Amino acid sequence: MKIISSIIFLFISIAFVNAQSLRGNIPEKKMIKIPASDFKTFYVSKTNKPIVVNAFSMDEYAVTNAEYLEFVKANTVWSRSKVNRLFADVNYLKYWESDFDIGRSNKNIYNSPVVNVSWFAARAYCKWKGKRLPTLAEWEVAGNAPPKNIAYTSVTDYIMKWYEKPPLPVLPNVKSTYQNIYGLYDMNGLVWEWTFDFNSFISTGDSRNTTNDNTNLFCAGASINVTNREDYAAFLRYGFRGSLKGNYCINSLGFRCAKNINIK
Amino acid sequence: MNMNKISRNFLSVIIVAVISTGCKNSDKNKNGGTDEEVSGQETAQLSLAPMVPPPITRNHPTKVVVNLTTVEKVMRLADSTQYMFWTFGAAVPGNFIRVRQNDEIELNLTNAPDSKLSHSIDLHAVNGPGGGAEFSSVAPGHTSTFHFKALNPGLFVYHCATAPVPMHIANGMYGLILVEPKGGLPKVDREYYIMQSEFYTKQSFGFKGLQEFDMDKGIKEQAEYVVFNGSVNANAGKNALIAKVGETVRLFVGNGGPNLVSSFHVIGEIFENVYLEGGETISHNMGTTLIPSGGAAIVEMKMNVPGTYNIVDHSIFRVFNKGALAQIKVSGREDSTIFRRN
Repeated sequence: MKIISSIIFLFISIAFVNAQSLRGNIPEKKMIKIPASDFKTFYVSKTNKPIVVNAFSMDEYAVTNAEYLEFVKANTVWSRSKVNRLFADVNYLKYWESDFDIGRSNKNIYNSPVVNVSWFAARAYCKWKGKRLPTLAEWEVAGNAPPKNIAYTSVTDYIMKWYEKPPLPVLPNVKSTYQNIYGLYDMNGLVWEWTFDFNSFISTGDSRNTTNDNTNLFCAGASINVTNREDYAAFLRYGFRGSLKGNYCINSLGFRCAKNINIK
Repeated sequence: MNMNKISRNFLSVIIVAVISTGCKNSDKNKNGGTDEEVSGQETAQLSLAPMVPPPITRNHPTKVVVNLTTVEKVMRLADSTQYMFWTFGAAVPGNFIRVRQNDEIELNLTNAPDSKLSHSIDLHAVNGPGGGAEFSSVAPGHTSTFHFKALNPGLFVYHCATAPVPMHIANGMYGLILVEPKGGLPKVDREYYIMQSEFYTKQSFGFKGLQEFDMDKGIKEQAEYVVFNGSVNANAGKNALIAKVGETVRLFVGNGGPNLVSSFHVIGEIFENVYLEGGETISHNMGTTLIPSGGAAIVEMKMNVPGTYNIVDHSIFRVFNKGALAQIKVSGREDSTIFRRN
């Protein structure tokens, strides 16, 4: 019995190690369970009801350069010189030294979020990990949870302070900002993060009788149908997402992955 | 469903466009309008305050390429006081754009790679929804392009119109565009660019160090700083504007707001000409002219007497306590018939 279980254990271990080498040598990061909740969209209209967000799990912190390098090595089609421009623009991984080398001069950012990656690239990475990108609703639910390990007056205030600071010459490592009550690190204040449906708020689903359903973010249009006119941080976040295209690679934009929780 | 919505929206845009051009055509033609032939192409020569690009000498409209860059940058708000400005052209106010009526403008808006935020531009010189805001929305490290025809002559404000608009404007994202009428403006000796705006900081006026934006003060319209050309004394003291006795000075004055209306006045001078609110009506011999938030005016004055002239917002607490002061230093001979002691 003992032998059998040892053998089984060995098999499992081998299988696990194999999976690990396929998915890279860096240990799988912890995923945090986010309980189910109702998400009230930033933009509301008569046809735009609160969204039910099912429980899901989310990476504890953003995907790092070191983690992303493993992905590129295992999927060379995503290396800087081979990537298709339709899926990643010229800024893709532009700060790396070469296709498969983050670079010695970049040694301080191995554990910093990977940035200058497109939505397509982020999606492919998550898929490779057996995960997916979080939806906008999921990200907002997770990201708006208050910090638990820093003093703050309001999340909005904290976020605004990030926007007001000049960019740092070296992007800090993951876990360098705050941890929120769910246990997630750096949801605000380090980088922007891709969501699966990053521009979905631009057109709301049903448009019957909504000729005045002005859900645009420009000029005074942005003051219509907003749940909280003083949530300037949300305005900035949605405004940022609205200007993105799937192949855009941006200095301050990274990502983390999410996963469904299978209820049996 | 989405396609339906898109096509419906598209249709309504076309209908609105047809209706509005239909309504406006008669006005345009009265002004000489759109019947001119556009020829050639050039890249707009931009300037930063207090300078103005040279007058346009063309006698025909052309295609003008305007390249603007949005930059988020810490700069001086007052001596020993800094602020994280959001800018057009790494300066507050942003680049001065000078074009001619009926020019066809290609506007390329580049957002610097190090920007944290998306930006856009709404030019009040544009006929079209949002003044170009949505078409020009641009993420960091990217460039957007849109086209417009400068149908109406005048001096207009432009500003960023990405949500939250008040914050983008409060952080410095505005400038002026001059659309010269056919035949241009009358020749003057000097032209300057001055733009008033206010800043809402957590700390009170004069506090040293990097200041943070205060949303509550913005909402309550309680400005800590009211300044000309982006900082306290940007064009006063050793950086004062200059002129000589006998010269006529033209000021292109804008008010970026975001909240306050300016009672624009030059102490010790009288404006011989004021293009009221930047439009076609010229009023004469005015002491103070009102410039709305998001508005502009062109003022012209002949400098008769040497000395230093203070440019102010005559809502006078703003001058003494918030920084609303610029200066023109005029050199030359005294004229005792105009001004003397005893």
